[in-house]
Amino acid sequence: MKILITFLAFILLQSCSSGPLGGDIQKNLAETDKIYGKCNNPNRQFTYITKKICEDQVRAAGPDGVVGDPINLTEIFSGFGGNGKVVYAGSSSNEFLWNGALETLKEFPLKTVDSQGGFISTEWVFKETNPNQRCLIKVNITSRELMSNGVNTKIICQRKESDEWYSSNELFVEEEKNLTLKILEKASQLSSVDSLS
Amino acid sequence: MKKLTLAISAIAAAFGAATAQADVSVSGSGSAAYIAPAGSGDSKLNVGQFVSFGLSTTTASGMTVSGGMGLSNTITTDAGQAVSGGQTLTFATGGATITVGDVTGDDTPGSVGGVVGGQVGDNGGLNSDVATGFVDDDGLGVAFSTAVGASTLNITYVANDDTNTLGAINAAASNAMTAASITVPMGAYTISAGIADSDTGESSSGASVSTAIGGGTLVVGYSQQTLDTSEKSTAASYALSSTDGSNTTYTTTAATNGDLDVDGDSTVMGATYTMSLDADTTIAVGIQNAKDADSDSTSQFDASVSRALGGGASVFLDIRNLSGDATQDGSAVAVGTSVSF
Repeated sequence: MKILITFLAFILLQSCSSGPLGGDIQKNLAETDKIYGKCNNPNRQFTYITKKICEDQVRAAGPDGVVGDPINLTEIFSGFGGNGKVVYAGSSSNEFLWNGALETLKEFPLKTVDSQGGFISTEWVFKETNPNQRCLIKVNITSRELMSNGVNTKIICQRKESDEWYSSNELFVEEEKNLTLKILEKASQLSSVDSLS
Repeated sequence: MKKLTLAISAIAAAFGAATAQADVSVSGSGSAAYIAPAGSGDSKLNVGQFVSFGLSTTTASGMTVSGGMGLSNTITTDAGQAVSGGQTLTFATGGATITVGDVTGDDTPGSVGGVVGGQVGDNGGLNSDVATGFVDDDGLGVAFSTAVGASTLNITYVANDDTNTLGAINAAASNAMTAASITVPMGAYTISAGIADSDTGESSSGASVSTAIGGGTLVVGYSQQTLDTSEKSTAASYALSSTDGSNTTYTTTAATNGDLDVDGDSTVMGATYTMSLDADTTIAVGIQNAKDADSDSTSQFDASVSRALGGGASVFLDIRNLSGDATQDGSAVAVGTSVSF
């Protein structure tokens, strides 16, 4: 009984923060993952299912640990027999707002461009100085008319912890407002040019 | 992993300021493969999928408590859908991790050499005659893992190897097992050593050393396991086959000694080398020589190449060759895709 009590007391003490023995167990696990592979790390406990998922996730991510963008067959084959440009037709969105949004986001790689629904989403964007954070921008054109409330913008960011991405739960109200104003400004300019021509 | 915060149960802690947050995360994967098994068996196609629901909450004091359940269609059984999990709770802090429930002790410390996935390892048809590992290495117990500076200490105590979530501690009819290991970084090398001991009379010890070399990681290991033939044996069994009037026919399955005829030591020596060719491609090779108390011995060679295609998909080529004393030796190959959802 004394041994059991001593053992439990030791566990409780060690479980508090970094414990009396010091060190960071998650950091140590991350280091040994590099040696044995995350799924074969003898310091981790896995169930059958979590081990299989781990193996598939590791293979899917590759050595850099990042699940990259999928191979886009449409992009690959669009270069054959055409000029390589994708034409989006039949849009129900206001063309000036739509083109204003595309113009505003031209600096970013786009993941989704749905002219039918008026929806644009960028790829995850990384900052070179902070690879543990990534953000994307979503823009939805909701109006056929050129009107100020016809644009919805949303900025979403995630942060990386222990090789997993988690929502940062941050709000970017001011940045989203500025982005919306930028799109409206571009749309207004395009509309002016169009009316003059 | 898709982190779905289904319930941000911002439960106010007893003294006001701190809150607890509960998360439910869902992750899944699947694989499909063409398998050319060893021997003269027909080639196989295999598909498996897995879904894991992870449950976790972080207490006001910062301790994370997690569990989970899963759905699977295993790669080892035809249409083998199953629900599993819910058999462990893990308590994690900055300094230590404690898992209670169905835990597994490392009964083959230092045993390295395998680099292929389950499509070859489980479905390749290779069958060695060399006995390794305890007859049972998991059950109801506690696993404790703690950081000691940059080192990691693991202690696993399986109190009852016949049960997983409800059972007597140290029951006379069941066996207990203890395993301990420590991983210590020493300059350019990382050394991992472990021991295990079971009430069955089986015990093991071993160590592995790893180092970065030539752009990859080399791991070399040695494991010695003292095994008991009675633990490998299966008793004769009788199953009702047919009943014709007053005549009843039974099918008899003879008793076997498994892969081990005499008590004694098994030794496993192996090495693996893993390296990245680029950001998406990994190659790994492994060798393993094993010998048991029957003087049965085998040599195993593994090779694996996998390439991430982006978007959660990857393709792989796994090869395993087994030679020596084996019920089925030869080479098995699998080509397939793994997808992470």
